[in-house]
Amino acid sequence: MGDSQYSFSLTTFSPSGKLVQIEHALTAVGSGQTSLGIKAANGVVIATEKKLPSILVDETSVQKIQSLTPNIGVVYSGMGPDFRVLVRKSRKQAQQYYQLYKETIPVTQLVRETAAVMQEFTQSGGVRPFGVSLLIAGYDDNGPQLYQVDPSGSYFSWKASAMGKNVSNAKTFLEKRYTEDMELDDAIHTAILTLKEGYEGQISANNIEIGVIRADREFKVLTPAEIKDFLEEVE
Amino acid sequence: MAGSMELPAKGGFCFDLCRRNAMLEKSGLKMPGFLKTGTTIVGLVFKDGVVLGADTRATEGPIVADKNCEKIHFMAPNIYCCGAGTAADTEAVTDMVSSQLQLHRYATSRESRVVTALTLLKTHLFNYQGHVSAALVLGGVDVTGPHLHTVYPHGSTDTLPFATMGSGSLAAMSVFESKYKEGLTREEGIQLVAEAISAGIFNDLGSGSNVDVCVITQGGTEYLRNHEEPNPRTYVSSKGFSFATGHTEVLSTRVRQIGPVVAEGGPVVAEGDVMEEGL
Repeated sequence: MGDSQYSFSLTTFSPSGKLVQIEHALTAVGSGQTSLGIKAANGVVIATEKKLPSILVDETSVQKIQSLTPNIGVVYSGMGPDFRVLVRKSRKQAQQYYQLYKETIPVTQLVRETAAVMQEFTQSGGVRPFGVSLLIAGYDDNGPQLYQVDPSGSYFSWKASAMGKNVSNAKTFLEKRYTEDMELDDAIHTAILTLKEGYEGQISANNIEIGVIRADREFKVLTPAEIKDFLEEVE
Repeated sequence: MAGSMELPAKGGFCFDLCRRNAMLEKSGLKMPGFLKTGTTIVGLVFKDGVVLGADTRATEGPIVADKNCEKIHFMAPNIYCCGAGTAADTEAVTDMVSSQLQLHRYATSRESRVVTALTLLKTHLFNYQGHVSAALVLGGVDVTGPHLHTVYPHGSTDTLPFATMGSGSLAAMSVFESKYKEGLTREEGIQLVAEAISAGIFNDLGSGSNVDVCVITQGGTEYLRNHEEPNPRTYVSSKGFSFATGHTEVLSTRVRQIGPVVAEGGPVVAEGDVMEEGL
C-alpha cells in the first residue's frame, strides 16, 4: 500500500505505548456531531444530528445514515468523506461474501471485516487512520445487534451507545433510561430525547436523522414526516 | 496442480494449459463434457411490461442432468434474465452483474435500469471474446418503460418486442411470429409465452419438462415457477416399495457404540462459537 517512498507506516508508537495518530483520530470523532444507537428487544434504532453549515444547503441531498445491506445500517460521528469510503468498501465486502457463500452476510461478519479495513489503515504505508467511529445496526438470525467500531479497528457490541460531541451526557442519559425489554418505539422516543438533551437550538424533523430496523429485517431511514410523528409523541 | 500460475494482470483467461490438454486428448484421455442448457428461452413485451419464459431441462450431452432447473435468473427486483448456453457461465455472469447492480443501487439511491444490466453484461462478454458461453434474454421495467433485449456470447445485443434463444428458439419463434401482436394483455402474454416454451419442450430434444414464467410490470414482479407442468412423472406403484421384516435373512448382529452418549440436557454449544470482542 502506498508509494515506495512511503512504505513505512505513519502511525507509530509513542514511548508510552500509545498510537498517537489513533488518539488524534478519536479526538476528531469526539468533535463530530453526536450520534447514538439503542438496541431494543425487537429491533435497533440509530440516530444522529444533521447540523448543516448554512441554511442555504439543500438538506435533502445529505444523508448521514446509510444502508450497507438490506438488513444492516450504519451511522457515524467524525469526518463525512472518510465515512463514505468505508460505506463503499463495506457494501462491496457484503456482496463478495454473498458471492462466495450464497448467504447474506451476518452482522458480526460485516463488523469484523469493516473493523479489519480500519485497522489496516493504522498499519500501512502512506495512509492515515479513518477519522470516524461507526455505529452498525443490524437484524439477522442472531436477533437485533448494535456494534461500535473505532478508528483503531476495535469493535464492541452495545445495548446502547453514543459518540461525538455530547458523548458523556448522552451516555449518562442512556444509562438511566435503558431497560432490557424495551420495545423499539420506546427506544426511538428515548433516542430522540437523548439527542434533544445536547442539541443546541430547536430540534425538528429536518435536522435529525433516524434509522430503524425491526423484526422484518429491513433497514429504513425514516422520512421527515415519520420523524415528525415521533417528535410529536415525545412532546 | 503443483507450481505457480501467473494470471494476466488485467484478468481474462489464461490459456497455458491448452497445449497440455491437447496433448492429453491426443494420448487418449476423454475430456469431461460441460453442462449445456440446450434450452428454450423467450421474452415478449406486452401492454403493461414484459413476460419472460423458459423450459427447465439441463442436459449433459444426451443425458438430462437436471429435470427441473431454474433458468430465469434474478438481476434486480425489476429485472430478470433467462440464460441459455453453458449453465455455469449463465449462472456466474448473471450473479456477478446482479451484485454489481446492487452496489450501483446503493451508490445512486435509484432503481436499476435495464440498459445498465445490458451494458454490464455485454461489456463482460465482449471482454471474454465469446469464451463465456452465455446467450441471454434480458427483460425488465424501469422508469423509462418496459425493455426486452437479447445478448449473444460474443457481446452483441438486440432490442426486440419479442425474442427467443437456445436450441428450441426456432420452435418458439414460429409460435411468436404467427401469434404475437402489440398491446397484449397480461393473460394473453402469459398464454403466448407458455405456448412458445411448450413448442420448444415438445419439438426440441434439448428442452423439456416444465414451463417457468416471469411477469414484470411497473407494479412489481411475479415469478411463476413451474407455471405449467406438461410432463409429469408417472410412477408404477404410488406406495413405493415395502420391505417387511423377515424377508432378508440376518446372518449375524453386532452393536458397537461409536460416539459419546448425549447428556440429559441436550447438545452443548461449544465455547468457541461465541464471538470475541473488544480486541
